[in-house]
Amino acid sequence: MRRAPGSPRHWPRHAIMIAVSFLMLIPFYWVIKTSLTGENIYAWPPRILPVDPHLFNYVDVWYLIPFGRYLLNSTIVTAMAIAGSLLFNVAAGYALTKHFPGRRWIVVLLLSCMLIPFQATIIPAYLITSWLGVLDTWLGVALPLLSTIICIFIFKASFEAVPPSLIDAARVDGLSEWRIVTRILLPLSKSAIATNVILTFIWSWNSFLWPLITIRSPEMQTLPLGLARFLSVMEDTTGALFAFVVLVLIPGLAIFLMAQKEFIRGLTSGATKG
Amino acid sequence: MSRATIRRALGHRFVAVPLALIVVVVAWNVYIAFNDHGIIEGEVTDRTGAPVIGATVVFFERNFIYYEEKQRAVTDAKGHYRFSDMKTHIGQLEARTDDGRKSARRQLRLWFRSQDTEVAPLVVETPRS
Repeated sequence: MRRAPGSPRHWPRHAIMIAVSFLMLIPFYWVIKTSLTGENIYAWPPRILPVDPHLFNYVDVWYLIPFGRYLLNSTIVTAMAIAGSLLFNVAAGYALTKHFPGRRWIVVLLLSCMLIPFQATIIPAYLITSWLGVLDTWLGVALPLLSTIICIFIFKASFEAVPPSLIDAARVDGLSEWRIVTRILLPLSKSAIATNVILTFIWSWNSFLWPLITIRSPEMQTLPLGLARFLSVMEDTTGALFAFVVLVLIPGLAIFLMAQKEFIRGLTSGATKG
Repeated sequence: MSRATIRRALGHRFVAVPLALIVVVVAWNVYIAFNDHGIIEGEVTDRTGAPVIGATVVFFERNFIYYEEKQRAVTDAKGHYRFSDMKTHIGQLEARTDDGRKSARRQLRLWFRSQDTEVAPLVVETPRS
């Protein structure tokens, strides 16, 4: 018999989950606490509660480095990556729902490509980006994320979950393939869209190695590169460093908290129907 | 578009959160625009609280890892001093008198560059030998 969620028999499990949640949140708490106090993170015994907390470390970050410029670069690159990935992943995902000669081999090829780490393909990727003439540009940084295999399969699974009779009816009504995607499939795939947006956002926002290789001018640097630069030029800035980390984290956390329902739903639907 | 639709759209978290952030940023920038003349002022007193006339107040600006002297001001008949056009957000203040007394360096941290600020009185004392 299934027990109600509030049943006392569930309490031990809930207590364990709450304890694990607290453990998972400790690094976040420690980063925020250090950003507010600037205290030595190696001090022993560690202070659990912040002493004399203040927000001036955030002001230091804003003025000691071109934070606004880094934020602008990261935002533009991420927006380009999200827009491009939505376009290309939707198109590829829809194509893979069709039956055509060699489809199975393309799926196998895509799946096997997922096994190759990006670091292994970074030199060809660099050469292609250089050949396209987009090194040291926003487009060049966004380029590798314009299409990702995981998101293609998430869209494929989502599109395949739509009843074929619906698509057939739309086709009988005279809708073109593009309008079937935009008017029928995409409104029914909001979870897949949210998953694509969040994953691309996180990958683009946190990307370090690719921007490090493609970007040459300081004014084109993104936030992770700015963080590395901040570490190399500043001294005695524990508080400001952690404030910088918090500022880099906030947009990602905000987007995840806003879209977590769609994100979880999109990932689970991809897992069960793929 | 009906009023209910607009209200529902504004209440959606994907609209409400960015809108709230935009409102906060705009309000903060409006506040800055009205309070960024770079005026730092205050008073120099002795231990009894009496104003010190003719004391020199030195402002040290933080230059990455150390503080360097940026500007000086002299207190008036009321012990009052005033710096203007200070384009900084972090520094230190110290008051010195001609007879060798000086105050402890006061750390100054501002919420934004060129913020107009009134500093608590700097108290000059005879340094220990």
